[in-house]
Amino acid sequence: MESLLSVRGLTKSFKGNQVLCGIGFDVIPGEVLCILGPNGAGKSTTINILTATLAADKGEIRFEGKSITGNLRAYKQQLGIVPQDIALYEELSAERNLRFFASLYGLRGSRLDAAVEEALVFAELVDRRHDQVKTFSGGMKRRLNIACAIAHHPTLVIMDEPTVGIDPQSRNHILESILRLRDGGTTVIYTTHYMEEVEAISSRIIVLDHGAIIAEGTKESLKESIASERHCLVEVDVPETTSDDTTVLRSVRESLFSVDGVKSVSIEGATIDVTSVAGIENVDGIVSAIVGQGLPIKNMTSVPVSLEMVFLKLTGRKLRD
Amino acid sequence: MRDFLPIFEMDVRNLFRNPVLIGYNTVFAGGLILIMGWLMGDSYARVSDAYQYYAITLLVYGTFSGAMTATNCFMERDIKKPNLRIIYSPAGGSSVWLSKMLASFVFDYALHIVLLILCGTLLGVTFGSNPLAFIVLMAPAELLGTALGTFGCCVLHSEELASTVLSLVVSLLCVLGGTFFSPDALGGPVATISLLSPVRWFDDAFFAMACDNDLSSFWPVFLGCSVAIAVLVIGCKHFFRTEDYL
Repeated sequence: MESLLSVRGLTKSFKGNQVLCGIGFDVIPGEVLCILGPNGAGKSTTINILTATLAADKGEIRFEGKSITGNLRAYKQQLGIVPQDIALYEELSAERNLRFFASLYGLRGSRLDAAVEEALVFAELVDRRHDQVKTFSGGMKRRLNIACAIAHHPTLVIMDEPTVGIDPQSRNHILESILRLRDGGTTVIYTTHYMEEVEAISSRIIVLDHGAIIAEGTKESLKESIASERHCLVEVDVPETTSDDTTVLRSVRESLFSVDGVKSVSIEGATIDVTSVAGIENVDGIVSAIVGQGLPIKNMTSVPVSLEMVFLKLTGRKLRD
Repeated sequence: MRDFLPIFEMDVRNLFRNPVLIGYNTVFAGGLILIMGWLMGDSYARVSDAYQYYAITLLVYGTFSGAMTATNCFMERDIKKPNLRIIYSPAGGSSVWLSKMLASFVFDYALHIVLLILCGTLLGVTFGSNPLAFIVLMAPAELLGTALGTFGCCVLHSEELASTVLSLVVSLLCVLGGTFFSPDALGGPVATISLLSPVRWFDDAFFAMACDNDLSSFWPVFLGCSVAIAVLVIGCKHFFRTEDYL
């Protein structure tokens, strides 16, 4: 399938510090492409270049086969952008905000009226249409922030962490609305710090780290890439009378590494996370290694592979670090 | 033009919704004229002469302070984010800074005309036999102020920095130009230096029009100011960067 957006060799430096190292990717029509990466990975720089707000040092962006250089106006006409911060006039009503921002895309008269009406329904703000934005809750502002970006029916919507700081109910509403957009044929590029959102909406994922793409694929294929590992969480009872916890836990770590198939051990408080090679039946060995050091086991769980694990494996950091 | 008008309209509305800016351009400026006129009344033949002097010089000060209105309209914290949406849209580009410049001009010009009428009515300040010429010559002064503010934001990339720097520059030009006291009273060298300040050019032109019905300075000041505005506009076009809104 032909790409809607094609990015090639995107490079950007700030004061000699290279933030993007020639990244390239394609966006397929109708997909929700999630861009993941720890802080400083280059996500925002990528988004700012895609929105034509920031110029790249090198590289090319093609939209529907045409370079956006020289076709910037046509490209922007097809874009809907949801910035990370609330970008609304607080003193104006929801309807006035929608009307103004939609008018910047050339909508006038009955087309503008219809677009505003549709966007108000989308954001579930029909009842509050005449109220000033400053009287809205955080979730309502976030919904309106998205509605302002889609009122003109863009082909491609770019969302930069649109759910920061809102309640779970509003987050669910936003995620559902993104899926509705996708079902309606809109393509979405989405960045987030919440892995559960990626699980819920992504068609495909790009993992950025240190300005380079280190993994790309569907969530299933990314999970498959670390399916050769198995995680086991063991909760132990560290006796209060133990004089030197560190010594005991160090001994446990050493014992666990002597068990066949164990690849890594991390200990946080009373929880021990053991990663071992899949297919090797070593649970009894893990149990013996822990109990043998005098630590009673309170609970033991086998953890299914998650995107969080994939991310940790690829970048060495948790997404929200 | 089709793209420009909604942005311009929104910028003008936003300015007229800002009580601090309205107060600064009317109550503060009017209050300053009253206080300075009253305090310095003894130094003039008549108190009304003091009001005449300070109404004109402080009006010129107000027009140059339009630089701060423009910086506020351009990048003030509350409107910076919604302005980012304008940058994102197909209308984003030169329309953004041009609209801020012209909206600030309209806002300041309208309020200063009101102030001028109030000074004429309440304080007996005269604007010469042709007050319309006086009001017309205020226009390039206002536009020069707002163009200076917009240029400052484009070059310095920050509202706070631009406001601080421009407020110093405008204050210096005004003190030098004779806003608070006549530089001629301080002797030959100071009077000569003060001729470097464009504030002085406007003050002299306005006093000639108001007190002597002399319009000879109108066109030189008008044209000189227009050239300065054109230079600043070209500078804005050259230095404006959309990423300053990020």
